[in-house]
Amino acid sequence: MNPSSSKQASGRSVLLPGDKLEADQKAGSGTFRRDGESHAAVLGFPSESSGYVNVHPLAGRYSPRVGDKVIAICVETGPSLWRMDIGAFQNSMLHHSETDWKVDFGDTASFIGIGDAALAEVYMVDGSGSHQVTLKKDDCRKLYAGTIARISPPRVSRVIGKQGTMITLIREKTGCRIQVGQNGFVWIDGEPEQIARAQKAVETISREATSRGLTEKIEKLLE
Amino acid sequence: MSGQTVANLMRGHIEALAARGERTDGRGANEFRDVSIETGLIGTAEGSARVTLGETTVMCGVKLLAGTPYPDSPGRGSMTTTAELACLASEQFEPGPPREPAIELARVVDRGIRESQMIDFEGLCIEHGEKVWVVFIDMHILDYGGNLFDCCTLAAASALAHAKIPNVQHGIADKDVDLPISCWPISCTFAKLGETIVLDPNHDEEMVMSARLTVAHDENGNLRAMQKGYNGAFTVDEIKTAVKTARTADKVLRKALKEATK
Amino acid sequence: MAGGNSDIKFIKKGKRLDGRKPDELRKVRIEVGVLNRADGSCYLEWGNNKVYAGVFGPIECHPRHKQQQDRAIVQARYTMAPFSVNDRKRPGYDRRSSEISYIISQALERVVMVEQFPRAAIRVDMQVVEAHAGTRCAALTAASVALADAGIPMRDIIPSCAAGKVSDTVVLDLNKEEDNYGQADLPLAIVPSTGEVVLLQLDGHLTPDEFEQAFDMAYKGCMDIYEIQRAALADRYGGSA
Repeated sequence: MNPSSSKQASGRSVLLPGDKLEADQKAGSGTFRRDGESHAAVLGFPSESSGYVNVHPLAGRYSPRVGDKVIAICVETGPSLWRMDIGAFQNSMLHHSETDWKVDFGDTASFIGIGDAALAEVYMVDGSGSHQVTLKKDDCRKLYAGTIARISPPRVSRVIGKQGTMITLIREKTGCRIQVGQNGFVWIDGEPEQIARAQKAVETISREATSRGLTEKIEKLLE
Repeated sequence: MSGQTVANLMRGHIEALAARGERTDGRGANEFRDVSIETGLIGTAEGSARVTLGETTVMCGVKLLAGTPYPDSPGRGSMTTTAELACLASEQFEPGPPREPAIELARVVDRGIRESQMIDFEGLCIEHGEKVWVVFIDMHILDYGGNLFDCCTLAAASALAHAKIPNVQHGIADKDVDLPISCWPISCTFAKLGETIVLDPNHDEEMVMSARLTVAHDENGNLRAMQKGYNGAFTVDEIKTAVKTARTADKVLRKALKEATK
Repeated sequence: MAGGNSDIKFIKKGKRLDGRKPDELRKVRIEVGVLNRADGSCYLEWGNNKVYAGVFGPIECHPRHKQQQDRAIVQARYTMAPFSVNDRKRPGYDRRSSEISYIISQALERVVMVEQFPRAAIRVDMQVVEAHAGTRCAALTAASVALADAGIPMRDIIPSCAAGKVSDTVVLDLNKEEDNYGQADLPLAIVPSTGEVVLLQLDGHLTPDEFEQAFDMAYKGCMDIYEIQRAALADRYGGSA
């Protein structure tokens, strides 16, 4: 009667929410437990690491994790902090003390205005879903040129590729500087025409992440 | 529509590209995106069309109901046009009664059809002074990917062209006949990106455009409706050039409409 | 229910007027990921019913006073297009749509892991573009698929299906004529992995025995719908990752 009980988290078949996982595996991310058994919580593919089975989602919005490098866009300025859109369901806070600037009280907007972007790092996430970002980490800074593209966050690793091969290919073929935020916001800077080509490549990878021969397709696109 | 904060960098990039005659999706300045028209999908409507223009999809249903004529036009049918910005089409579309953007959209499409006299309203009289056909054009926006005006006008025209008068159902005659159509309005919408004007703005271009201009022509190249939108402004030359461009740029939509309504 | 119309004989030689057996579903087809803008979406045809479902979320909850401090809320919204019925429906929200939206939201909150997203909203929009009875079941079925397509964490995928009574016979999945002139309608939605009932309505007239029969038939219909939902999602994501 129950088809989910016959599907096991082995092989490469996609798991759907509620599908039962193999009995001897411990429940990792993207899973939940019910009556002593583990189930997939999201649509995705399972993978094992140190005895735990995780279900990697194939879709969904960004959920912040401490240490993630993200591209953030300012949506609101307060007297001593900025509220930044990082694609999560709550805006992230950037406090003035988390920058290298000396920001006078009420003077935040002269450093980062609404719509301005920064490469930031998530440094705090609490149980209620609130989170904060900082600019006081390696590479973090306000971004002054280029554009911001948006891709599906679960597809970020595909856009970067194994050992960064995919993103290196796009950088080499377009001469652009590219930063792929873990939140699916992608900063691309270069000649306007080259930015457009790089953006198209990035969006194509995100859209067609599950199709075969993607690297060849992107190579062809960038010829 | 509620605001979504637009990245200043994206605005700058789109404007810079436009100034060089380029666009994010690789089109030329006066080029439409791919268009597809399917008609007759909705069994409960007298005419229907689903039109996709780039990433925008609109479903339009035409219903004909018998009603009383307006006192000042006892021998003529009438029409009503609505647009619903369905919540599933965009995160920015909020539930609730139609707000100004939906009302403006419906009225501009309505004007294009009404002023071109696309529908022969005299042919919609059932009984002089007593009973006429009322044409309801209801447009449902299912996917918002920019340029709702042109997609909606095309959807409305396609659904009307395909509509039958339901004589049998209402016991008026023993045969359903085509809605009397006399003219084909098509609209072309332009967006101002920085100092550049482009045709058929996509989603991201609409996020950063400062002004919008819609120009509706009939098939003889005569103007039938126009609408300027947003808080930016056009120069006199920009307006005149856009009107001229629209006259030839609408060919691709006309061709699609013609094929879909053969 | 119009209270039953004895003039029409809905079952002849064990077949219904549309040729179905009493316990047979109409044809159901689901296409996943049909909208560009939504986080998850599907298009569903159920007989001649046609429904689009789209999901955005989790997003910030508006209006703010509806926020829950410890969980997300599911904001389901069911709408019928004016052209979806024979007599044009006035555009906009009415009492019927409000009630259906409300019970669908509550059904979905049973499986969506709302506790993972404090103060957020998960917006589920269902647009019925053609209606021929059974649209609330069709809409909820589509909504569940769109939620899975949006990557929303859930304990299961909810299917929905109705049973009813025509010409004193219990039948599955009433069509429009059966619904208009039938004697009872019992829409149901369940959580397949636990057997929990998350949506149940009844209008009309059923004896206790007929209720048991209709309930079991609707439950089995839900399980069949569940298979169709799963197949549609697997079809969309079946490729290698």
